[in-house]
Formats: sequence, structure tokens, C-alpha cells
Amino acid sequence: MSVGQRSTLRQRLFAFLVAGLGGLAAAAASFAMTVYEASNSRPTPTVAAGEPIDTGRWVITFRGARTGSVPPTGTEPSQPKTFLMVEFDLDNRSAATSNAFASMFDIDPPITDVQAPAFYLARDKWIASGVHPGIPEHMIAAWEWPKAQPLPQDLRLVVGSQIYKRRDNLYGGSGWFDRDPVAIVALPVKTEMVVGPGQ
Amino acid sequence: MRTGLKETGAIIFAAAILYAMQRTTPLYSNITSPVSIAGEQGKRTDARAFALAVGDVHLARTVRIERFGQTRTYTTSGVWVLVEAAAEAKRESLTLTSAEWLGPSGLRYSLSQRISTMPAMLPAERLEPGLPKPVLMAFEVPENELAGGTVLVAPSAFTPLGEEVRVAITELAVGDIPGAVTIRRSDGPMPWTLETE
Repeated sequence: MSVGQRSTLRQRLFAFLVAGLGGLAAAAASFAMTVYEASNSRPTPTVAAGEPIDTGRWVITFRGARTGSVPPTGTEPSQPKTFLMVEFDLDNRSAATSNAFASMFDIDPPITDVQAPAFYLARDKWIASGVHPGIPEHMIAAWEWPKAQPLPQDLRLVVGSQIYKRRDNLYGGSGWFDRDPVAIVALPVKTEMVVGPGQ
Repeated sequence: MRTGLKETGAIIFAAAILYAMQRTTPLYSNITSPVSIAGEQGKRTDARAFALAVGDVHLARTVRIERFGQTRTYTTSGVWVLVEAAAEAKRESLTLTSAEWLGPSGLRYSLSQRISTMPAMLPAERLEPGLPKPVLMAFEVPENELAGGTVLVAPSAFTPLGEEVRVAITELAVGDIPGAVTIRRSDGPMPWTLETE
């Protein structure tokens, strides 16, 4: 083996070593950061009613919660039902009309036998469709509350967030993607007197 | 020394090319975006599967709808945009389910679903080949997105590489927005009448 060959072999070995150690260091740093973030997770901030919450795609301001036997349409159902209603203002900050607000917030902790809420547009007293950008709307979410469940005195809602990606990781398409919750909202529930026939 | 300079130059050149390629790669949404067919307001625009002609565009602060002897008032924080148009299928029956108002800043306003129960609303009308039908579109648009708007109409909002007719709205009295427009059913040649107050 000549001197020249031996030196190139040494150079290559050195290059492999540097690359390997660098890769190991990067993997270790990434792992350590993940572990650190998981063990020192920042608590989700609690936001009061009336304060706007920036969720990325939407700015939402909760106004209050109440219970009642009449849904936001104003038409009493034929069978007596109880509704838990949350009023909020919603502003679409994205570039297109969207109805993706339906999955933005949820009751915390989740209650299994409560169905997903229906969303109403307050100005129409009717089921809401998409909310347009630059046109904030006053809306009402109404949960039909099961009789077996006690009505809550205080309602805790967890508000999720979304970020816009110009290129997503799978297709390279543009879109909104779910991120961690940004706020917990605690709302006192106002109880409406239930006045039924024969009472 | 000179070889080192050459290598550095090659690396910088390669990095520049890679960066340029990364920045200019079209988005997936661009690659699969609809094929647009430009049209003019007041003229017929022919796509392969359908044809569309956009006529008058009316603005209003509130819309009143008379149905079954009752009047319902629809308010909005923006402005109601009512687009009168005619549409026709060309090869087979179809429904144009997607229409958008593209504002001058690039914001997209889908059809307002609030008055979708009116007859002759575009997404509810089944179009037959060779039979042009009058159709009505309603949008809610903020005032600053009115002037320079474009109406985009497509059979479906989600079909990749589908057809989309784009009609730039040139005749629009943005300065003078009437307070209310009443939409009534009509038995005349048009299935509706618009009355501005």
C-alpha cells in the first residue's frame, strides 16, 4: 500500500467519524429537547369570557353560557329537551369562507354521551353555515344535554388552534393543520327557569 | 489553493440552484387547481361542460325575502351581492355547486347559504343541455372587497383540474349601496323579481 492510498483511507475514515458523531449529537439534542418539552409542558392559559382568543385561523371571544329548554331557533321542541348554550363572537382570519369552526372547541373533560353541538347564527336564529373572512358573526353553540347527566354549574372549554402550512408534509398542498390547545375558558352557567305546561 | 476555491464555488452554486428550485416548485394546490376560463360580464362564456352568462349585479345592506305571505329580513355585517346570471349544461345534465366571489385582495367568499332556500339559486338548479336557465347567486362581502371582484363558478369546488369560469365584475355601483332589496317569486320569464328600495 502506497503512502498516498493510506492518507486517503485515513481522510475517509475521519470524514465518516465526523459525520457519524455529528449525526449522533443531532439525534441526542433532538431527543433531549423532546423529553424536556414533554416534562416541562407549559400549562394552557385560562382565558376569561370577553377576551379574544387567537386560534390562528379564527379569533373567538366567548360571551357566556346558559341552559334552557328552547334552542336558539326560538321554536320549542315537541319533546321537552334541555340545551346548554354558549354564545361567542367569531372572526374568520383565513382567506376563504369556512365552516371548520365546529371542531374548534370542546367541553373539558369530555363527556361521552353528549353529542356534538349544533351551531346557530344569532342574527338569523338559524343553523349557521360558513363564516366569511372579514365579517365577524355572533354565534351560539347548543348542546342537547342528556337527562342522565347533571347540568354543569361551571363549564370548562378547551380551545384548539390551527396553523397554516403553505406546503404540508404529505402532499405539499396548502392548508390549515391542528395544533395544541391555546386556551381554557371557564364560563359560569346561567340557569334558565324551566317553565313547562302544567307547572 | 485554487482547487479549494473551485470546490467552495461549486458548493455555493449547487446550494443556489437547490434554493431556486425549492422556491419555484409549484404548490400541490397550484398543480391541481381548476383550469380557468375568463369571461366578461354580460357575455356568454363557454366551458366544455357548461356555459354561463353573468348579467346584473345588485348590492344591498339587507335582503328581504317574501315567501308564503311572510317577509324575512336578512341582515349582514358586510354587503349583500346578488348576481343575476344564466347557465346551461352542454353535454349532460349537471349542477353548478360552487361559486365564489374573489375579492381584489385575494379573499374568497363562498355563496351565502343563508338564503339558499329561494328558488333559482345556483347550487339548487339542475341544468339541462341546451336549456339555458336563469340563476341567482348571493354573496356576503365586506365593502372593501367589492370593487374589482371576480365571480368564479365551477361544477364542484374540489375537483382537481376541473373547469372554472371567471367573470370579472366591471359594472358595479359601489358608491351607492341601496338599503334593502326584496326578492319575490315570479311567474314571469325570470323566476324572481328584485325590488330595490
